[in-house]
Amino acid sequence: MNSEPSGYYPVPQPDEIGIREKEDAMGAYLMMFATLAVGLPLPIINLVAAFIYLYLNRKTSRFVHFHALQSLYSQIPVTLLNAGMIIWLIIILVNDFNFTSEFKGYTIMVGVANLIYFIFSLIAAAKARKGLFYYFIFFGRLAYHRAYMIHSGPKEVAVNKPPTL
Amino acid sequence: MKLTIKHQETYSRGELILRTLFGWIYIAIPHGFLLFFVGLWGSILSFISFWIVLFTARYPQSFFEFQVGYYRWALRFRARLNNVADGYPTFGIKGTDENTSLDIPYPEKLSRGLLILRLLFGLFYVMIPHGFILLFRSIAAGFVIFIAWWIVLFTGKYPKGMHDFVTGTIRWGTRVNLYMGFMTDTYPPFTGKEIE
Repeated sequence: MNSEPSGYYPVPQPDEIGIREKEDAMGAYLMMFATLAVGLPLPIINLVAAFIYLYLNRKTSRFVHFHALQSLYSQIPVTLLNAGMIIWLIIILVNDFNFTSEFKGYTIMVGVANLIYFIFSLIAAAKARKGLFYYFIFFGRLAYHRAYMIHSGPKEVAVNKPPTL
Repeated sequence: MKLTIKHQETYSRGELILRTLFGWIYIAIPHGFLLFFVGLWGSILSFISFWIVLFTARYPQSFFEFQVGYYRWALRFRARLNNVADGYPTFGIKGTDENTSLDIPYPEKLSRGLLILRLLFGLFYVMIPHGFILLFRSIAAGFVIFIAWWIVLFTGKYPKGMHDFVTGTIRWGTRVNLYMGFMTDTYPPFTGKEIE
């Protein structure tokens, strides 16, 4: 069980962050290209790659942890939208090849969402490379909270008990 | 780059037979299965590294260390499958081995021009010439491994020349992979010998 938060760790300044950390933080956002690297049109691969990256780097430093979390969080809605489009596309292809206006509208919306995600991720990657923080709407705060929150106070101690008779 | 596989004084005949009969169960399948996924992750990192090198002229150090760890693991695995080293290969990218070693110096800066050159023309000036020679060398190494198998079985010793040839083939292939994986700017030499 987590203890109650009692504040936040101080945010490091660019000159306090090593080049390795900066590069690792930048790498988190570039996981959006994982699907291209593998060559499979499965949007879930990006999400899996971002998750693996977070898992491998979660203890590297808070700076890297923050960026890896923000990258992962921001990928979730985009991945869901992309997955929805692919599923819809498969249904259309299997059935009647009738590309309805609703599907076209959804596709455009997904395209715009991906473009926004792509641009903001590249900006965040460039900032991370310079040792800077870049907070996405909602996800930035969430990632900061998760990476920089101080957990203190008494931790719950596990107690062994006899079986209920 | 320095790749070595220790030439042992004697080789275990028991291990040789065990590897031949059951190696696919206790070495090839477990290591191959894991190496496939580690290699997949390595290819993702390699793809991303290309873009990072293009914009920053630096290969991210942690990515580089991961790739080196992967190459070391693959070397340990391959050395056993080719019977040039005894013992069971350790798992993991941080695993160590007394019979094999691979040191790849971290390049502080990489050339962006060479990076683009490799992307556009790497097939012609690296893959075709090296691939052509390595294809025949690998076939020859296969024969050498087969003959050495019998020699080890009867004498318990692996002829040094044969060992060097197999090791050299692995070394050559590794150099080509490193160059094409953007981990070095040094063009791979047309030899399997160690170069100072």
